[in-house]
Amino acid sequence: MRTNSRKLPGAWSAVFAPPAAEDHPLKIAEFRAWRVKEPVSSRRYTVVRLRSQGGISGYGEGGPALAGEIVAARAAAMDRRATESEFIRSALRRTPALEAAVNNAMLDLVSRAKDVPIYRYLGGPVRYKARLLGHLEGSTAAESTPSLERAKRQGIQSFTMAAPLRDAMIPLRAYVDLVRKRFADMQALAGPSAEWVLDGAGAMTPGDAASVAVALERSHPIWFDEPTGVITQDALAKIVDESVMPIGLGRNITDIASFQSLLASGSVNIVRPDLGLNSLMKLKRVATLAETHYVGIAPFHNGGPIGSMAGIHLNASLIHAYAQQIPVPASDRDAAMRAEITPGLKESGDKGFFALVNRPGLGFEVNEKALDAWSEERI
Amino acid sequence: MKRRELLTALAGAGALSAAPGRRLGNASPLHDCGCAPQIVTAKDKPPGAAAFRDVGSKLRITNMRVFGVTLDERIAQADRPYVFVKIETNEGVTGWGEATLEGKASAAMACVMDLKDLIIGSDPMQVEHLYQVMYIGSFYRGGPVLGSAISGIDQALWDIRGKVMNMPVYEMLGGPIDPRGVRGYYHADAWTLAEARELRDKTKAAGVTALKFQLPDLLECVETNAKIRRAVRHMEMLREGLGADLDFAVDFHARPSPTVAAIILREIEPLHLLFAEEICPPENARAMARAVRHSTTPIATGERLIASYGYTELIDMGVIDILQPDIAHVGGVTALWKVSATAEASGIRMAPHACEGPIGGIASLHVDAAGPNFLAQEICGFVDAGEKNRVWEDLMGFPAMRMVNGRYPLPTRPGLGVDISEAALKRYPFQGTRPFVMAFHEDGAVASL
Repeated sequence: MRTNSRKLPGAWSAVFAPPAAEDHPLKIAEFRAWRVKEPVSSRRYTVVRLRSQGGISGYGEGGPALAGEIVAARAAAMDRRATESEFIRSALRRTPALEAAVNNAMLDLVSRAKDVPIYRYLGGPVRYKARLLGHLEGSTAAESTPSLERAKRQGIQSFTMAAPLRDAMIPLRAYVDLVRKRFADMQALAGPSAEWVLDGAGAMTPGDAASVAVALERSHPIWFDEPTGVITQDALAKIVDESVMPIGLGRNITDIASFQSLLASGSVNIVRPDLGLNSLMKLKRVATLAETHYVGIAPFHNGGPIGSMAGIHLNASLIHAYAQQIPVPASDRDAAMRAEITPGLKESGDKGFFALVNRPGLGFEVNEKALDAWSEERI
Repeated sequence: MKRRELLTALAGAGALSAAPGRRLGNASPLHDCGCAPQIVTAKDKPPGAAAFRDVGSKLRITNMRVFGVTLDERIAQADRPYVFVKIETNEGVTGWGEATLEGKASAAMACVMDLKDLIIGSDPMQVEHLYQVMYIGSFYRGGPVLGSAISGIDQALWDIRGKVMNMPVYEMLGGPIDPRGVRGYYHADAWTLAEARELRDKTKAAGVTALKFQLPDLLECVETNAKIRRAVRHMEMLREGLGADLDFAVDFHARPSPTVAAIILREIEPLHLLFAEEICPPENARAMARAVRHSTTPIATGERLIASYGYTELIDMGVIDILQPDIAHVGGVTALWKVSATAEASGIRMAPHACEGPIGGIASLHVDAAGPNFLAQEICGFVDAGEKNRVWEDLMGFPAMRMVNGRYPLPTRPGLGVDISEAALKRYPFQGTRPFVMAFHEDGAVASL
């Protein structure tokens, strides 16, 4: 429909007008990215640094990304204002790792420019410390010991434990006993104050997962994470209808509508979107869905230290956030590399909680020389 | 002593921070009320705002005031005196919000002051925390009076946040999606084909692309062929007079039962309305679902619902296409954004209701501008703003919100972009609350208006 072009009434023009796009101090003027790989675990992630026209920098981390995707993300972000997170969420929806990295870098940049921590920019803090969940490496008690010992030294009291895989030759009863034994072994190893999340990693069939859930429900793991990779309502009903074990789901989901579907069908008790695949602004939306269903959120994270800290800020701004998962390297070399990238940050807590830092943005500086040294490729 | 100070004092004395395993507060195992605190809290867990001393800002709320504003009935309906909330801080930054509630202005004003003890002394930057303090901490989790009070306070907090960070609120929410502004519609009525054609010309000349009308009659739980035909013919006449290229919606205003609504919706499908609003009362989502299942006309509702929780059933059941929370009732910027976010996940669009005063309407624009699922903003008013211009000029220094090329332009000032003149407020003293206008069927029974 053709409409008459009209101008703003005089007194309005000072108050209401389209924002001026040119020469804004928050306009993104520089984009740089590193594809980082840890030396022993081979854990990979992408770090993006944005610099505004006003000279402020912000860092964001996402999951592994291809060089071509990074080039496309740079084209989308350049000359945009660092506040335009909804534009970036839409423009980079096909490359979720970069949606996370770019949008989080924008958030860090704006928060630094406004001299506030990210959690305050997001409307928090709603808590003054954030519960940590240590993501342990290793698939047996022996393999997990170095990671567990490091996590305990880091003041972490809640941990993930990888459920054993089921060999086709193992009868179901024997497999369930194996999971139960591993749970008991890990409990004994960590001591009575430790709390556990059983990590199924999406590897079980719904039927096996249901049997494990029933067998372990009275051991009270905090939740059973990603019990199956079959994320359908019927498959999940097998698990949630047969036990009261809380179910965590979502580490591979990148579209918000899928979380809505899980929540509406009552298939999930704690949502677990991956910090490497979803920006904080996007996760705020997922958290809002969860909140209306009285379901918690505890973002999955198996990336780098910049992502860990972003998750802490998100946790501090969401009422239904339960914990932030952080990876705990088994290897000293990996741990040293993480510390080198973020020299002002300790991925550690006290009595299970990370004390919030009242500094602008993410709250620490990033060592770009270390990023250069540890990156597979710089773009 | 304020409630928060009392809690702090009690905690200091050990009354609310007994060692684990000990009964709290009352030595007797028998309690006067089961709602009394019977929890065990850890000793090292400081209560209330003190917990955030090291991680919050230095800003503190020093005062909160509420203003009732009664306007001439030609400008605003007598049931809805504006209720404005002003929050003041230790650094001189102030914020304004609106808690106007139709027919319950005095109750909303009193409720704002009931929340004062939870707000004074707090850090206004913690808007999410304070929202939860007011919503969860109020025990009843909603209702229009509490919802409106929270709305007014929450808007004022966002106004402060924006002013402190020197940004319009929509930028803090990730917008704007479209810097040209947000689409709007005006209210209209036309009772003859000639009137409808005249309205079409006037609307197009104003650059407006959408209007909203009401049904011509009150409706009972089942209805006669005559009344149903009159309703349908009225809408057919509007479509003919307005033409095919002007969008219009029809507000059923919850007058029909689901039974009658289903029949009317079936008949008006060929008219391709922008949406049909409140086709039946909103409390029973299953009943509404029965009414809409045979229609492709977009269904809108939600102006009477509170907090994001109030919309969950409608969203999960897939009953509606468009949600219409009111930022002066739903819980302010925080709750309107949450409803928008939950709606987006289900492909539901937003057309927020706004039939109160200027602060709420402008606050709504900010959330609209940051919502990818936004459709259109209601602002109660006709194509000609009339006397409202004078009042807005008096209160805020600029005339009533008007669309330009079909869109409301976005505020450019930090925060919500409005500051109210307290001197001007004195010219519109609060004169009490009038009830919402009543309507009755021909037999004297109360009708839904």
